[in-house]
Amino acid sequence: MTHESNPPNITQLLAEWQHGDQSALDELYPLVYDELHRLARRYMSRERKGHTLQTTALINEAYVRLVGQKNVHWANRSHFFAISAQIMRRILIDHARRHAYAKRGGGAQQVSLEEAAVVTPDQSGELLRLDEALKSLAEMDPRRSQVVELRYFGGLNNEEIAGVLNVSENTVTRDWNMARAWLYQQLGGSAAN
Amino acid sequence: MTPERWQQISRIFNKAISLDGEERTAFVADECGVDQNLRSEVEKLIAAHSNASAERFIGGMAAEKAASYLLDENELEPPAKALNEGQQFGSYEILEALGIGGMGEVYLARDSRLGRTVALKVLTLEVSRDERRMKRFRQEAKVASSLNQPNILTVYEFGEVAGLTFLATEFIDGETLRDHLHENKLKLGEILDIGIQVLAALDAAHEARIVHRDMKPENVMIRHRDRVVKVLDFGLAKVAEKKSLKKDEASEAATAFKTAPGTIVGTINYLSPEQARGDAVDERTDIWSTGVMMYEMVAGTIPFSGATTSHTIVQILEKDPVPLSKLGNVPPELERIVEKAMAKSPDERYQTAKDMLIDLRSLKKRMDVEVEIQRTSPTMSIAAVDTQEVASQSKTRVVVLALIAMAIVTAAIFGVNKWRSTRARSVAPATAPVAVNERTLTYWITVQKFRDKKPFQDPFTIPGEMIFEEDYQIRLSFSSPQSGRLYILNEGPAVTTAPEFNVVFPSPTANKGSSSISAGQVTQIPGESWLQFDAQQGTEKLWLVFSEDVVPELESLKEFASRQTQGLVTDPARNKMVQEFLQTHSEAKPAVEKGERLTTLKSSGKLLVYPIKLEHH
Repeated sequence: MTHESNPPNITQLLAEWQHGDQSALDELYPLVYDELHRLARRYMSRERKGHTLQTTALINEAYVRLVGQKNVHWANRSHFFAISAQIMRRILIDHARRHAYAKRGGGAQQVSLEEAAVVTPDQSGELLRLDEALKSLAEMDPRRSQVVELRYFGGLNNEEIAGVLNVSENTVTRDWNMARAWLYQQLGGSAAN
Repeated sequence: MTPERWQQISRIFNKAISLDGEERTAFVADECGVDQNLRSEVEKLIAAHSNASAERFIGGMAAEKAASYLLDENELEPPAKALNEGQQFGSYEILEALGIGGMGEVYLARDSRLGRTVALKVLTLEVSRDERRMKRFRQEAKVASSLNQPNILTVYEFGEVAGLTFLATEFIDGETLRDHLHENKLKLGEILDIGIQVLAALDAAHEARIVHRDMKPENVMIRHRDRVVKVLDFGLAKVAEKKSLKKDEASEAATAFKTAPGTIVGTINYLSPEQARGDAVDERTDIWSTGVMMYEMVAGTIPFSGATTSHTIVQILEKDPVPLSKLGNVPPELERIVEKAMAKSPDERYQTAKDMLIDLRSLKKRMDVEVEIQRTSPTMSIAAVDTQEVASQSKTRVVVLALIAMAIVTAAIFGVNKWRSTRARSVAPATAPVAVNERTLTYWITVQKFRDKKPFQDPFTIPGEMIFEEDYQIRLSFSSPQSGRLYILNEGPAVTTAPEFNVVFPSPTANKGSSSISAGQVTQIPGESWLQFDAQQGTEKLWLVFSEDVVPELESLKEFASRQTQGLVTDPARNKMVQEFLQTHSEAKPAVEKGERLTTLKSSGKLLVYPIKLEHH
C-alpha cells in the first residue's frame, strides 16, 4: 500500500527504468497497481450506476498522487502512462478472470450444476479472449500490440501514444488499423466494442 | 506466419484501406500478383477492418467494461453471511467462510462432537423453501453418504439448525481440476493419476448402481496435501434402475442446462450424446464425460466446443474430435483409451468404469517401467525423461528385454509383490560406457500412506517433492549406470544444536553392510520394512554420497550402523568430521533432473554429494 504522506520516489524509479534498469519497473509495478486498483474501485463505488470509468482521468489522478504535482514532467508522464496502460490491462483482466470464475462458482467448493446454469452471457470472456489474442499479436508484432494496449487499456489518444512510443501519429494510426482488423478476425468478429 | 509475411501483409493492407473501390481492388491485385494466399489474407483483413470500424470494435476503453467487473466483484461478496466466524451452529463451530454460491454458503467448521474439521454447506432460506432444489440437495446427501470410497467426497451429516438446512462434508483443502487446468499444463503421469482416481470413484458409484451424470472438471477436486482426487456433487446422480434410467429423468439432466430460450448456459461440453439428445442414460454416460475430461487434460482444450449451445451439441452428436496424436506427442495407447471412452454409441464405449480403470492402470504401470529403464539404462538417452517422449518412442530390442527384467522390480514398487530384501537386481545391460569423470545417480521415493494406523491406498512413487505427514512411511530406491560406493546419512531437522547424523546406508540390513553397489543395481532402503518419520517436524536431510572409490571418512562409520541406535554417530569427533566432509563436498552441486517419479543427479568428477530434503509434519 502507498501512503499519501510519504509518496515513494516514483520519479526516481521512472527515470531509472527509462535508463534501462528493469528492477526499477519491478518496484514501480506493485505501487502503481495498488494505486490504480484502489482508485478504480473508489471511482466505481462512487458512481455505481451510469458510470464510465475514465481511464485517463484515473491514471492522471494516480500519477499526481504518486509523483506529486511539483515533479510532473512530460517525459516521465508518458512513461508512467505506458506502465499504467499495462497495469490497467492486468487489473481488468484479473477482474474479468475472477468475474468469469466467480460466476462459474469456481471459488466455492461443490459447485452444483444449477449454479453453473445461472451464468448469463457476459463480456468477461470476450475481454479474456482479446487479452489472449493481444498476447499472440505481441509475439509477432510487439509495437502494434502496445498501441492497442495504450489505447484500449490505457485510454490514451493517438497523439499521446505517438509520444510514448516515439513514433509519428500516422504510424500509430496505421498500427492501430492493422492491429484492430487482425484482432477482430481472431475473435471471430464478435463485438467487444 | 513469418515476420516478413506479416510485414508484407500489413504494408499492403495499410495502403489498400486508404484507397477506395476499384482503385483498392486493383492495388491489391497488383501487389499480390499470383500469390492467391497473400491476396486472400489481405482481403480478409480489409473486410475485418470495415466490420471492426462499423461495429466500433474495441472503440471504447476496456475500463468501461471493467467498471462493471469492479462493481460485480463487490456484489459477489456475500450480502449478509448467515453465520459468523466463531459462532456456534448446532454442534459446529464456524471457523471461516469459504465461499458463496447460488445454493448457499460454504463454511469451514469444526464438529465439536468429533473434533474434526468439516465443510459446512448452509442453504439460503430461499433455497430451503424451494422444494425442487431441496429435493436435489437431499438427493446429493443421500447418494454421497451411501458411497464410501476414498475418491468420493464423504458426506457426514445432513440436517437443520435454527431453520437453516445444512450439509456437512469432508473438507478438502485443494483446488478443482478446472482451476488446476487453468493454471497448469498437466504432465502425463499426473493425468493418469487423476484419471485413475476419478474412475476408481466412478467404479464404486456404479457398483452401487449410481450414475453421477455431471462429471466435469468443476466436480473433481485435487487435495493440495497429497494430490488425492475427490469426486464431488452427486446432486444430479440417479440410481440406475434396470439397465437405463427412465427417459424423463435423463432429459431432466439435459434440461437443467436450459434457461430462457436461446440463452447459453452452464457447462454443456461434457454432456454425452445420449444426454444431449435427452435419451435414457446409464453408467456409460459417466465414461463419456470422463473421456472428455481426459481429452482436455491431455490436449489442454475441450474436444467439443462451438460458438453456441446448438453448435456444441451438434459437435457432440456428430463430430469426431481432433485426434490427440495430432495435438502432440501422446502415447497411442492413451489415445486409444480416450477415444474408446468417447465413442458416440454407448455400446462401443468401455462398458464399465472398471474396464477403463484397468486399461489406464496398466498403461501407467508400463510407462513407469519404461521411464525407469530410461533412467537406469545408460544405453538410452537419459535426457528423455519426459514420459510422453519415452512412451511414444519405438522400443529397441534391448529395452524390450530390459522390460522383462524390470517388471519384477516394478511389481514390487506397486506393492503387488512384497520386496523381500535389498538384494541386488541386475537391470538391463549395465556395462555401457559412461564418461569417466561423471557420476550419475537416480533415486525415487516410495510412499505408503497411513490412516488410523493402517496402510491407506497403494504405495506410490515420487521423485522426492512432497510434504509428508507424520505417519507416512517411505522407502528410498537408488540406481546408477555406474558402479561405486554409496553412503547415505540422515541429518535431522534440529537447528539449535550441532547437527546429528544417522547412518542409513550401508547397514547390516542393507546391502549386507557393504557400500559397494554395482552398475544397474536397484537398491532399496530399508530392505524389508519402511522408514518412519519421528515426531520432530521439519526438514530431514538425507545426504547421498556416491563415489567412484571408497570414502574413508564415511566408510568407517559402519560401526555406528545398528538398528538399536538407528545408526546415530555418537562420537563427537567423527560427527564433526562428517559435517566438515559434507560441507566441503556439497559446494559443487550436482545437476538435478526431476522426472515424473524419479530424480537423476549428475555431477562432474568422481564424487557426487547431494542432500535429499524431506519435509514432514
